[in-house]
Amino acid sequence: MRVVIAEDAALLREGLIRLLEDRGHTVCAAVADGEALLAAVAEHSAAGCGPDVCVVDIRMPPTHSDEGLRAALTLRRDFPGTGVLVFSQYIETSYSAQLLEGGAAGVGYLLKDRVANVAEFASALERVAGGGTALDPEVVSQLFRASRKKGGLDMLTPRERQVLALMAEGRSNAGIAAELVVSGGAVEKHVASIFGKLGLPPDDNDNRRVLAVLRLLGT
Amino acid sequence: MRINRAGRDLLYCALGSVAGFLTFAIVLYTIAPGLALSVTIVLTVVGLLLVMGSLRLAVALGAVHRRLLARLQDVEVPAPPAFQPGNGILDRVDKRLRYRPGWRAVGYAMVKLPVSAVQGYAVAFVVCGVIDISYPMVWLLFRNHAPGTHLGPMVAISPLGFLYINVYSWPQTLLAALFGLAQLGAGRWIATAINGADRRLIQSLLGPSTMAERVSELERTRALAVDDSAAALRRVERDLHDGAQMRLAALAMNLGMAQEKLNADPDSARELLDAAQRNATDALADLRDIARGIHPPVLDNGLAAALESLTASSAIPAVVHAGIRRRPSPAIESIAYFCAAELMANATKHSYANQIRIDISSEQAGVLVMKVSDDGIGGAGKGRGSGLDGLEQRVSTVDGLISIDSPDGGPTVVTVTLPLRT
Repeated sequence: MRVVIAEDAALLREGLIRLLEDRGHTVCAAVADGEALLAAVAEHSAAGCGPDVCVVDIRMPPTHSDEGLRAALTLRRDFPGTGVLVFSQYIETSYSAQLLEGGAAGVGYLLKDRVANVAEFASALERVAGGGTALDPEVVSQLFRASRKKGGLDMLTPRERQVLALMAEGRSNAGIAAELVVSGGAVEKHVASIFGKLGLPPDDNDNRRVLAVLRLLGT
Repeated sequence: MRINRAGRDLLYCALGSVAGFLTFAIVLYTIAPGLALSVTIVLTVVGLLLVMGSLRLAVALGAVHRRLLARLQDVEVPAPPAFQPGNGILDRVDKRLRYRPGWRAVGYAMVKLPVSAVQGYAVAFVVCGVIDISYPMVWLLFRNHAPGTHLGPMVAISPLGFLYINVYSWPQTLLAALFGLAQLGAGRWIATAINGADRRLIQSLLGPSTMAERVSELERTRALAVDDSAAALRRVERDLHDGAQMRLAALAMNLGMAQEKLNADPDSARELLDAAQRNATDALADLRDIARGIHPPVLDNGLAAALESLTASSAIPAVVHAGIRRRPSPAIESIAYFCAAELMANATKHSYANQIRIDISSEQAGVLVMKVSDDGIGGAGKGRGSGLDGLEQRVSTVDGLISIDSPDGGPTVVTVTLPLRT
């Protein structure tokens, strides 16, 4: 997996490089601001070895506000094949909404805290690189709270909401089963019920999972 | 030179009268064309510039009048609140035109005209009186001519054209002297009366504030206080984000990686744990700095103790002399402490001083006076991005004042005056 890292704190940047290289991934570039991120991705893509995924901090120089997010949105538009994992010390609902506006494929939004569990962080990154989703539990619970206000998910049982939340985080059925300590069959039943209640038609691929997550956003 | 009361009154009349006429002329010949032009369409800008210049002139001349009053009448009238320039040209123009002390100074320049005239008369009465009193002597000295010589009369004069006495003989000069004496008395009386009136005019037109000005001053300082605390919170957030939070995230990452390598690669794991420990220590140090920046715990033991601990960690030897009888309110203590910290940091950075000294006392009723002095190279001033502006703003939120005495070559004394209670 080829990765570009954009993070202005040198300590974390070096740590991420080491973490990813230890696991056998290639860090094509590690930069400290949004402009450099876009330049690095463009350069590597032009050379035919574009990154599979970018890890992007939100607050970076020069303004220390949301340049990382804006760079991430540009990446989503200009390099749809490249996954974007936004990696921040804050979760903001408006940021989640902007990121997920164009669909939830190849998008991640995690708190920096999550790096404590190295294996989970790495697998989240791999999911995003593969076109999947990795949303922080914090993001998901915010989305739930927002959609509860709108009343979109009232018909789901508490258990189904739990399953939907884990789906939104990007877990597979097996992962959800392990997390909830239930059988794979039970998870499949819940998932089917969620799709049914949300009115998502049967589909061969996993697209419905993403659609279910987007339903959370009320889109 | 000591001059008695009457002499000082007359001197004030003379100088005040001259200054008054000049002020009137200068202000009138700038403000009148300025106002006239500013209502035209083509030359509005020129007119406004002229008006603004005139307002500034009036304020500056007002300061001259206040100084005259202080020097010769021993009446100190404090200056009105200084003009606060806005941001951008339009705001600046707007603020300048709304600066009430400017318009009041213009008002003073106008009403000073009749006052100056009366002051001039007072002086003229005294001058004429002195001349008239000298007539008996003058007659004896210069009119001892041969009998039969025909000379015109001596004229005992007064500033009022219709009031004079023709003197034809020496006995009549005594009358002239009496006439002079009366003028002296009149001159003194007029001087006292008109100076009193002038004093009241200066107090009400060139002094600090009417209620409206006080309100606008409070509005200004309240805005400063709000901005200041918002900026302080933003600074804390930034410090947390870039410091402790980042270090703790790195710490978590180190621990996570160490955990994975614990069995396979214990050496790497140990190295990662070392890094984690370093990050934990650094994060604690960051948090401690931030906490101290919000409220230094030692301040709970009083300002003197806090300043002692501040000076103890100073790079330049520093001493504190504290004479605080009544303990100031916590907000005042905090402001005084951060002022001292900032001033000491300034001195350490720029002054090349060998010694810093902090004197703090609450002897004056209701007021805390803190002097931070150093024996460095001087040249510290406001408005050079020196951080002194920020201090001034912070202090002004509680009606405090900062004055800086820092000639080139030193020494520097910065005096911070704060009310004991907010």
